[in-house]
Amino acid sequence: MKGNRIVAAILSAAMIVGMTACSGGGANTSSAAANSQTADKLTIWAWDDTFNVKAANEAKEAYAKINPDASVDVVSMAQNDIVAKLNTAFESGNMDGMPNIVLIEDYRIQNYLKSYPGVLSDLSDVTKPDKFMDYKLKTMTEEGKVYGVPFDSGAACVFYRTDLIEQAGYKASDMENLTWDKFIEIGKAVKAKTGKAMLYIDPSDLGLIRMLMQSAGKWYVDADGKADIANNAALKEALTIYKKMESEGITITTSGWDAGVSAVNESKVATAVQGCWYASSIKKAADQSGKWAVAPFPKMSNVSGAVNASNCGGASWYVIDKVPGKDTAKDFLSKTFASDTELLDNLCKDISLVNTYKDVASGKNVNTPDAFFSSQPIYKNWNDWTQNIPAVNYGTSTYDIESKMTEAVQSIINGASIDDTLKNTQTEVEGIVSAAG
Amino acid sequence: MKKANRVLLTLKYLFLIIASFISVFPFFWMVISATNNAREVNAGKLTFGTHFAENLGNLFHSGLNFGPALGNSALIAAITTVLALLISSVAGYGFEIFRNKVRDRVFNILLLSMMVPFCALMIPLYRMFSAAGKAGFTGIGLNTMFSVIVPYICTAFLIFFFRQNTKSFPKDILEAARIDGLNEMKIFTHMYMPVMKSTYAAGAIITFMTSWNNYLWTLVALQDPQKRTVPLILSAMGSSYTPDYGMIMTGIVIATLPTGFLFFMMQKHFVAGMIGSVK
Amino acid sequence: MSGNPNTVAKQRQNQPNRHSLEKRLNRWGWIFVSLSIVLITIFVFIPMIGALIMSFQTGKGVNMHFGGLTNYIRLFHDQTVGKALGNTFVYLIFQVPVMLILALIISVLLNDKNLKGRTFFRVAIFLPCITSLVSYSLIMKSIFSNDGIFNQMLANIGLSPIMWTTDPFWAKVLIIISITWRWTGYNMIFYLSGMQNIEPSIYEAAEIDGANFLQKLTHMTIPLLKPIILFTTITSTIGTLQLFDEVQNITQGGPANGTITISQYIYNLCFKYTPNFGYAAAVAFIVVALTMLLSIIQMKVGGKENQ
Repeated sequence: MKGNRIVAAILSAAMIVGMTACSGGGANTSSAAANSQTADKLTIWAWDDTFNVKAANEAKEAYAKINPDASVDVVSMAQNDIVAKLNTAFESGNMDGMPNIVLIEDYRIQNYLKSYPGVLSDLSDVTKPDKFMDYKLKTMTEEGKVYGVPFDSGAACVFYRTDLIEQAGYKASDMENLTWDKFIEIGKAVKAKTGKAMLYIDPSDLGLIRMLMQSAGKWYVDADGKADIANNAALKEALTIYKKMESEGITITTSGWDAGVSAVNESKVATAVQGCWYASSIKKAADQSGKWAVAPFPKMSNVSGAVNASNCGGASWYVIDKVPGKDTAKDFLSKTFASDTELLDNLCKDISLVNTYKDVASGKNVNTPDAFFSSQPIYKNWNDWTQNIPAVNYGTSTYDIESKMTEAVQSIINGASIDDTLKNTQTEVEGIVSAAG
Repeated sequence: MKKANRVLLTLKYLFLIIASFISVFPFFWMVISATNNAREVNAGKLTFGTHFAENLGNLFHSGLNFGPALGNSALIAAITTVLALLISSVAGYGFEIFRNKVRDRVFNILLLSMMVPFCALMIPLYRMFSAAGKAGFTGIGLNTMFSVIVPYICTAFLIFFFRQNTKSFPKDILEAARIDGLNEMKIFTHMYMPVMKSTYAAGAIITFMTSWNNYLWTLVALQDPQKRTVPLILSAMGSSYTPDYGMIMTGIVIATLPTGFLFFMMQKHFVAGMIGSVK
Repeated sequence: MSGNPNTVAKQRQNQPNRHSLEKRLNRWGWIFVSLSIVLITIFVFIPMIGALIMSFQTGKGVNMHFGGLTNYIRLFHDQTVGKALGNTFVYLIFQVPVMLILALIISVLLNDKNLKGRTFFRVAIFLPCITSLVSYSLIMKSIFSNDGIFNQMLANIGLSPIMWTTDPFWAKVLIIISITWRWTGYNMIFYLSGMQNIEPSIYEAAEIDGANFLQKLTHMTIPLLKPIILFTTITSTIGTLQLFDEVQNITQGGPANGTITISQYIYNLCFKYTPNFGYAAAVAFIVVALTMLLSIIQMKVGGKENQ
């Protein structure tokens, strides 16, 4: 008796849900198919609700005035999720459900351009090369064609706590034209006078090493995409500096992004050497308003060609060629992110965007000082520094190489010789690069 | 003798209390975090805050469709659980009512299906669904409920679980029923299912939980943002450069409730001596 | 189970019937398992063949071409594969036995009808399973960070701090603690539900004979639960070989790949690094081969008494 009722209940439940599933599935599919056939319907993927998603939404509003017929759908997704979906779709050659416009990180774009040629649209007629910063254009250029519209700058800088630096006996002027030697010297004073560390480092995230290399115009690979590890003077010097900071005891080690942000917010460190976009994380500690300032990236004095500017991160907009609506997508980008100075200037105010579009430099918001950062005109500063960022070829395999490099850095910290370690890593990186090519 | 017993009893409770404390603590912290703001969460604040309403508001107005995602997740997990339990229990029973060499070998091959990391199967599976969709069977192609449910309605894991539990099933009841002339279908529905209640309960909890948390395949197979499930929404929230952990924790707490509720409902079937009562 | 004297006697009596019963049961058996075989073939084995083909290919997307054993050869020179295999085995050897024994002990304690607060304890110990990994990794990181609660406690009793997240050895310990914490309750469910299928009369008889707790555990519960123990051992082994979530959330495989697992490496090859699905498939088949080997051993060791 009892068994009967259970079975009946389970079976009827299965039937009901089964039917809903079929009807639901059918209805949804047809609507999706209808959507993708309308040329004036655009989909944009980006990954940060408070940053690039918001930017896309503002661009959508601006574009609605120009082309009221177009309906633009901005979808917020995790960056890793976007990458997973792109990789699966590109690899399978099925572009159904892909967006028209997608934001891709600069470190990854070369890989897409080389591995899946023809998947992304040529945007040479949308992106005017003389309007954008050079280093940014270089990342998205392949065989003379420009494939993207540059978005945010990752201008590297030193965020520092004015109060702690002063307690250590230094002034704001000491922070200008920094070299790494000076930076370490200040770090030691900070440690001695305040007991705080100068900066945090995360053994799994070599952002600092990358910034150091790029400040000298170098990368894990050379201009031709070949592994450049063992004989890379900038990399060696970067590792030397990294190790010195560690052994001088002016760093604290954290694990994971949030732990780093927390160290900054909880006043455990006096500086953060990061891309300019890190400002939003620093601002989370509202009680520290007015105590922060920004200085240019320190220079490596022992490497020829090193400058007081570098980059960390940054992304750009791309159009997926085979998704219907390509022309509208190109029109959208050319009338918003590729030319609309008013929009870009407003984004500076709304999402703290540091532009790579040259004309925005004179914008009203770009020149407004920020009270949180000691009323410094930070956007203007970043804008100026961005122009000096050396252009490098990121190659196709930044993250693969970095995974091997974290092991190398670990053994160097533990006392292995830099030259020997890099020699071993060179062989492994050659393997990665040849497998990727 | 009595004294030793009391010491043993105390030790037993002490052990369980410590184990429970360790188990509950992160959950408790999760609930606390839902009432704090992002910075407090990141700093590991351990006391209740005042930001719950604000977090809740942010969560449902974030433009990420958290509400509809709850519905999508619930529907997918419910269908998957019901179908998976039915199909797998039938198979688990089938493998055990009569064993011959061939069927044992088939079973071992099925077990092999558990051993492949899913990442490796994803591209072929994606191509398969995409081909089905392209061939005109849009109802079973990518971006459908079908595509996210059907790969999970039959797993070697669950078949294995039912098979192992069937081993302790009192076989003499079956013999008696067969002699009484009941066919196997009847035996399964009238005798096996009621007796195996606790096994079904455990299977339901595990399957629902797995389906509710399923991430990678759902991410890749579903293309419409309106169809996204809870884990995808939470992932999107977490990937921001400045994640709002207060809001995320609130989302997580809500996302935990269905599985928690199901467990609470099902755990009462884990009562010693179930078989005796049916018999 | 076929040793039940009544059944054997009955079967002997009906010798001619027995054959037809066997046939009938056999037919029903195949009917019962057929749907599952079809489904698993379509959704696992066919893609698996696809993956196997991919593992012999190099190149990307439309440019994929046959590369022979290139991917498999690369595998043997890949130090990260070695590292990931090593880590995975460390987790396997230390974590699986501890977790299963713990789960078994807890289940036995919770199966006691006279235990007060049973429901509370059950729910409490199951909670880690449903606690989101995000919150759990955040709290693990805040408890075990270099200046976290745990190290403060160590400092209070005069011990030097442990670099839980940034030292390769301790990071592995942290991962083991985390997996045990999360999956003990999960395995408890299997044991608890399995124990409900044991006839209580067996225990009652033993109690009359004066068997104590330990005797009941080793002579009755464990042998009777053997099929379930085998099940949890095999599934936990497979689970550990495919370990991904905990490592990804707590250490991201760091420091310096010190906690990376094979599954995480496969994931990275597909989605973090330059996508190389062919190579990822090759690495995956190594996992399949290892899992098969281990499962066969476990079946041979644990399965004997089930026959």
